[in-house]
Order: sequence, then C-alpha cells, then structure tokens
Amino acid sequence: MGSRSEFSPQTLAVLAALSGQPSAWQHGYALARETGLKSGTLYPILIRLADRGLVEACWQDEPAPGRPRRHLYRLTADGLASATTALAEAEVAAAERAATAARPGASPRRGRGVAAPVVP
Amino acid sequence: MSWSSRIAAAAGRRAVRLVPAARRDWAEAVWAEAREVPPGWPRLAWRAGGVLLIAKEGQMARRIGILLLGAVAAGTAAWGAWPKSSVSLSHGAASQGDVIITLTLLAGLPLLTRRLLGPPDSRAARWLRAGFYVAILAIMPAKAVAEMFVGAVPRGGIDRHTFDLSNSNGGLPVPGSVSGGPDWGGEIFLLFITACYLAVILALTARRTKVAPATLAISARAGLVLGLVVYAVDPLGGEKIATNPWLRGSAADPLVALAWVLLFSAPFVAGALAAQRCHVPDDPGRASIARAWQGFAAGLVCTGVGALTATVLGTSTTALMLKSAWVRGWLYHWHPLTASALYGRELWASEDVAFYAAICVIFPIIGIMAALSGAGYANRPRPQPDSGGPGGPPGPGEPEPVPEPPGGRQLADAGAVGLSALRSG
Repeated sequence: MGSRSEFSPQTLAVLAALSGQPSAWQHGYALARETGLKSGTLYPILIRLADRGLVEACWQDEPAPGRPRRHLYRLTADGLASATTALAEAEVAAAERAATAARPGASPRRGRGVAAPVVP
Repeated sequence: MSWSSRIAAAAGRRAVRLVPAARRDWAEAVWAEAREVPPGWPRLAWRAGGVLLIAKEGQMARRIGILLLGAVAAGTAAWGAWPKSSVSLSHGAASQGDVIITLTLLAGLPLLTRRLLGPPDSRAARWLRAGFYVAILAIMPAKAVAEMFVGAVPRGGIDRHTFDLSNSNGGLPVPGSVSGGPDWGGEIFLLFITACYLAVILALTARRTKVAPATLAISARAGLVLGLVVYAVDPLGGEKIATNPWLRGSAADPLVALAWVLLFSAPFVAGALAAQRCHVPDDPGRASIARAWQGFAAGLVCTGVGALTATVLGTSTTALMLKSAWVRGWLYHWHPLTASALYGRELWASEDVAFYAAICVIFPIIGIMAALSGAGYANRPRPQPDSGGPGGPPGPGEPEPVPEPPGGRQLADAGAVGLSALRSG
C-alpha cells in the first residue's frame, strides 16, 4: 500500500474529493463535479475502491419526493489512511517534478489531463 | 418527464439486468443519479457513461464475441448441411427440417434452461456446454453428407444393382436411386436424441442442479478417453466391412477389449470419484443422497461425452471418406481397391452412421448404472479404526498407532478397567 504507482491520477482525484469530508456521505454527481470525471470513468473507480474495502456505499434512506433513491459513498477507515498516504506521496512527487522542471536545461513534462489533487 | 427521458429510463432499467447481480447496484446508481444532472447534453453524457459501465461490468464485449462466434459456427454448419439443388425434393425437405429444428434447439433450449435452472456457474460447466454445441454443429453437415451418399449416383459407372440391399435387408432401396424417400422416423428419432442430449447437458451444467465442477471435469475427461477408444475401434460405424482393412483380425482385439472395459469402468470410476469428493457435514442421510446425485451426473456426463465424441469423430470420418480420396487412401493404408469394392465400403459406412445413434442411447444407460455402483462403492460404510479392521497408514497429522502391550488386547482392557476402578474408588 502507498506506493507511487498504486493509484491513477483519476483515482487520486476521487480519493481527494472523498477525503475532503471523510465522515459525510457523498453522491456520484457531486463527486463528478468536484473531480471533473465523467460517469463512465468515475463509477468504475468507485467500484474498484469499494472492492478493495477503501470505499463504502449505501442507498439513501429517505429520498426527496418524486426522486429515486441515490447511492452514497464515503471512505472507510482503511480508505482514509490509504488516501492520506497516497495523496501525500502524490504531493511529494509533484514537488519533485516541479523542482526538476525548474532546473536549467530540464525539459518540461506534460501531465495526463487530470489536475493534480489538492491534499486537504 | 419527457417521453425521451421515460424511454431512456426504461431502457436503462432493462439494461441494468445485463450486469451480474453483485454489480447491479452500481449500474442502478448511475441511472438514479441521472435525475440530478441538468437535462440536455450533460444528462445524456451521464447516461452514456452508464451505458459504458453496463457494457464493461456486464462483460458485453465477451458476450457479443461469443454470440458472434456461435452464429458464425451455426451458419457454417447449416450451410454445410443444407441440401444442394441436386438432391431430391423429399430428401431435401428432410435435411432442411433437420437443420432448422437443430438450430432452434441450440438457440432455444439454453434460454429455457436459464430461466428454469439458472445459468452455468463454473468454468467446467461452460466448457462442457461449448463442447456439446461444437459436437452437435459438427455432426450436422457430416450426417447430411453420409445420408445423401446413399441416394447419389455412384462414381465411375458402378452397377448399382450389385449393391441392391432390398432382398437381404428389409426393403432398403437400391443405392444411387432416389426412390424410397427419406427415413422420416429415423430423422425424428435423431432429433429427439439431439434434444435429449442438449437438455440433459444444459440441466446438469446449470446452477440449480448443483453438480460440482469437479464432477463435470472428472467425468468429461473419462468420457473423452472412452469416446476416443470407441472411435479407434469403430471409425466408420460398427460394420466391419467398412473398417476393414483399417483394423484387421487380432490387431483390433486389444483395442476392442479396452473399449469394453472402459465402457463400464470409466463411468464407475467417475461416479466413485465424484461421490468421494462430495462432502455434506453432519447429515449422513443427505450426504448419501448428494453422493448418489453426483454419481448419477458423473455417469451421464461420462458416457454422454464418450458417445458424442465417438459420434462426431466417426460421422466426420465417414463424411470425409466420402468426399476425400486422400482420407480413403489413409483409412485403407493406400491398398489398391477396385471402384466397386471402394463403393461397397463407402455404402456400408454411410449406411452404418446409424450405429452412432445406437451408442448415444445405450451408453448413458450403462453409464448411469455403472456410476451409481461407483458412487455406492465410495459411499459404503468404512470400518472404524477400533473395530479390528486392518486400517491403513496414518494420514498427515494423525498420531502414530500405539503398539499393543505384551499379552494383547486383554491386558490393555484389564488396565483400563483397573484405571476406571481407581477413579471411581
């Protein structure tokens, strides 16, 4: 756990969004807006995290009138620990890359299109 | 809610069923969440993501691939079995009916079985089903070639009346003539056997019949060996005129003996092994029933696989022999045969394809009896370690047997009595 290659940038973005309010249940659309991910990317990530026991999911008890029940998500205790470690490592790696890029003669490297998550 | 949204929601609810039950919540979650997304393109994009999720989690690419492969295989088999223009109308109608009904069975029975007994839930079950499908599809064109041979005019100006079987064998028509028409009773019987084989294998590999994957794997392997040996003995039906000189005289005897031994021993061993691996803790009555069921299934699968293997290989060899000079040369060790002698062998072989239908009926009956005997043997009450039986070597983790004291068991018993007397005193 916690190695640099363990989570993709998209997964790190989801972990960052969930760890912003670790005790609160969040729904898919809010996570999609916060991370900028499409539903076809977001939900497979949530499924894999739930399979690994890092995210727990449940159905809303009392839906709004005329609305279907929503599926809610939050980090488990293991998930919070993993997210904290992974996001800290991602921040260190980002700082290293920034320092390398700032050196004279270093060529700039491009990212994968997802903004680096902000560690809360 | 607009009509397009209603249609999309309804389609989504239906599509969610394609996803395995363990993942269905997630697909439903995407669809439920779509109501919170602003209408228009954002909501459409959200639902498109849901469709992608369903396709991925429902393994749609794999399912579509298997469906396409099955359709191509069925189409090829049907094309091979479909009667050509040179075939008489009545023979053509029989072959067309055969193809259409077989394909309907192959497509319809799995849907019916899935609804009644559930889907296959192990790799062994899926492989076994695939094997049966391939075998039935392979038999279709091979059988059609063999059946058409009798009605076709022989090559090389052979006198057809030399082979007039009508005097010796119950009124069969002269070979090479189109008189007599198809054997409708035989066609219906073969379709009935095909339907039975399909129904039984689909049922035994379904979830609710609870046949263990180990039972399927053991019995399928034993059946494959049995089928290969039977095929080696009778590659062109049971008629020795056709197989001669493939296997001559005493050269065939060991193989024939092996085939007979395997016919009884393969299902017996498969039944015994399947029963032995069946564990039902704390309920001897249920354990006996469960072992008998595993043995019964093992017998059916073993002999069914054996009969079908021999049938598909034998029928295909007959069809290839009729079509290919190289196969004829290989079968008869490149012996020079007159056109008339060769035609006689081809005629006997194509007539005797019915032999395989007979083994498809007889083998499973023998298989069930032998496998139930095997299951009964595995289920027999074993002597307890203290009942004076010879016993075997201790297993891993078992204590070493304590040597009897000098004087035998009586002294040991006396010691035990003395000890209990001391305790009670």
